[in-house]
Amino acid sequence: MNNRKTSVFDGILGDNMVLSSLMVISPVIICGDTLKNAEALSYAFTSVTILSMLIASFVPKKLPYTVKIIIYAMISSLVYIPVKVATQEFYRGAIDRIGIYFPLLAVNSLIVLQSEAKFFRMPRAKMFFSLFFYVVGFDIVMLLTGLIRELLAYGTINGRVADVDLPVSGLSQPFGGFIFLGLMCGLYRWIRSLVSREKKEMRSEPYVSDN
Amino acid sequence: MVKAFRKERIVWIDLMITLLVLEVMSYFYYGPRSAVLAGMCVSAAVIAEILSLRLMRRKFTADDLTCTSDALIIALMMPPVIDMKIAVLAVLFGALAAKNVFGGRRNMIFSPAAAAYVFVLTSWGRKLLLYPEPHTKTGLFDDPEGLVSSASYIYNTTGKVEHTDFELLLGNFTGPSGAVSILLLAIAAVMLMFRRNISVGAFLGVISGTVLFAAVTPVAGTRAGSVKYSLIMNMVLFASIYIVADRRIAPKREYFAFFYGLFIGIISYILVLTKALENAIVIVSVLLTPFALALKNLEKKIEMADYAERAALRENTAGAADLPEADEKEADPHE
Repeated sequence: MNNRKTSVFDGILGDNMVLSSLMVISPVIICGDTLKNAEALSYAFTSVTILSMLIASFVPKKLPYTVKIIIYAMISSLVYIPVKVATQEFYRGAIDRIGIYFPLLAVNSLIVLQSEAKFFRMPRAKMFFSLFFYVVGFDIVMLLTGLIRELLAYGTINGRVADVDLPVSGLSQPFGGFIFLGLMCGLYRWIRSLVSREKKEMRSEPYVSDN
Repeated sequence: MVKAFRKERIVWIDLMITLLVLEVMSYFYYGPRSAVLAGMCVSAAVIAEILSLRLMRRKFTADDLTCTSDALIIALMMPPVIDMKIAVLAVLFGALAAKNVFGGRRNMIFSPAAAAYVFVLTSWGRKLLLYPEPHTKTGLFDDPEGLVSSASYIYNTTGKVEHTDFELLLGNFTGPSGAVSILLLAIAAVMLMFRRNISVGAFLGVISGTVLFAAVTPVAGTRAGSVKYSLIMNMVLFASIYIVADRRIAPKREYFAFFYGLFIGIISYILVLTKALENAIVIVSVLLTPFALALKNLEKKIEMADYAERAALRENTAGAADLPEADEKEADPHE
């Protein structure tokens, strides 16, 4: 049982949805091989998730759980339509490259599972900020993955050639994505344990007066 | 427990002896570059192991030297003229991403050497699958010239082998520097099997699967030829000894290990036959890792069930033995 106090900023480091809970990892692994893909996915994920959750928060809580989940999915599917049109405008060709993982963002686990389990139990203002930082947490991981994988696998940064001596093209493939994400998860846990250890040490230090 | 630790070290020493013999043969065919490549791989493996153990707050012990045998296996699976940076990256990948990320040598999921080979194959496949001719000595800092496809590639695509049996036995044909010395590999297999350093079941499983399918659906013209070349080419013998039959990966029970090896042998043969996929056995051994894990879990469950059954039996016998004493005590009213 987790007795840790929750904060609205948890979504970035304390409880990052990709690195800690391993949610929405398939687009990160399969499509996060270039920065352009990562930008398009981050934009679509942010828009679909925040708008859908805000609208869905007005759905009456008295409805049965199953009905509510179906309504949330329908809302996010409706929100997906303008987001897709905008993505086609801003990131040309991105939807073709991303393929099936783009429409699947409309039914991501943050909307379908975490909405009822976590977010809709909070007051609306707190929910909005908490959700925002969860989405930012996803975006940071997605963009970092896209940047590093593109640099190492293709020797480019956002399509511009960088001076990489030995590109590791295996990283552009899904198995490379799995391994890269695994290493990032390990690094994330290590950083989190360092932070929590420092906090514990600070708490256990006795108070010494200057007088 | 102490016996298990000692055993691990003895297995490592035996493996290293056979691998060093293969490395000597590689030196004979390709010169000092082969030895330098092996040295670089082993050094990189030791450094990576020490660093990752330090990060995990563990001490580097003699048992952790098993990383050197993995590094030597990686070096022997590559062309001796491969870029040193690629070889070092492969070793680092094997030691860090394929082994220590999962908890080190006691929690291994993949064979580090096989995972590293697949990593190099997906990233620098062209450099990995072009080899120098035997007796071509390339300088340490020279760019390799006159690289050709391996004899395995020619066999997979045409079904023909233009080498005498004597050349094949001595490893005088193009291919990975350590995986071509068939005579030495056969001797190593027998020695390691008798000393129980490799999983006999897994090794025999691979050989049986390959022989069975090579006889039923031959790649070469004759069945006998197909059986012979299917065992020699595509690193089948090398990988079945050092990767599939690795005791850290294969199931413990020989019966389960046999089927694990059998499936690897059959699937890799089918891939060679239908797709002409070079060295398919290494890729298949990585892909069938979940199968090995499932078999190991099954073994654990069987062991637990056996243990519980024995404990229940012991309790029943003890209960039956106690029963007359209790009756006697109850029967004696003066106590």
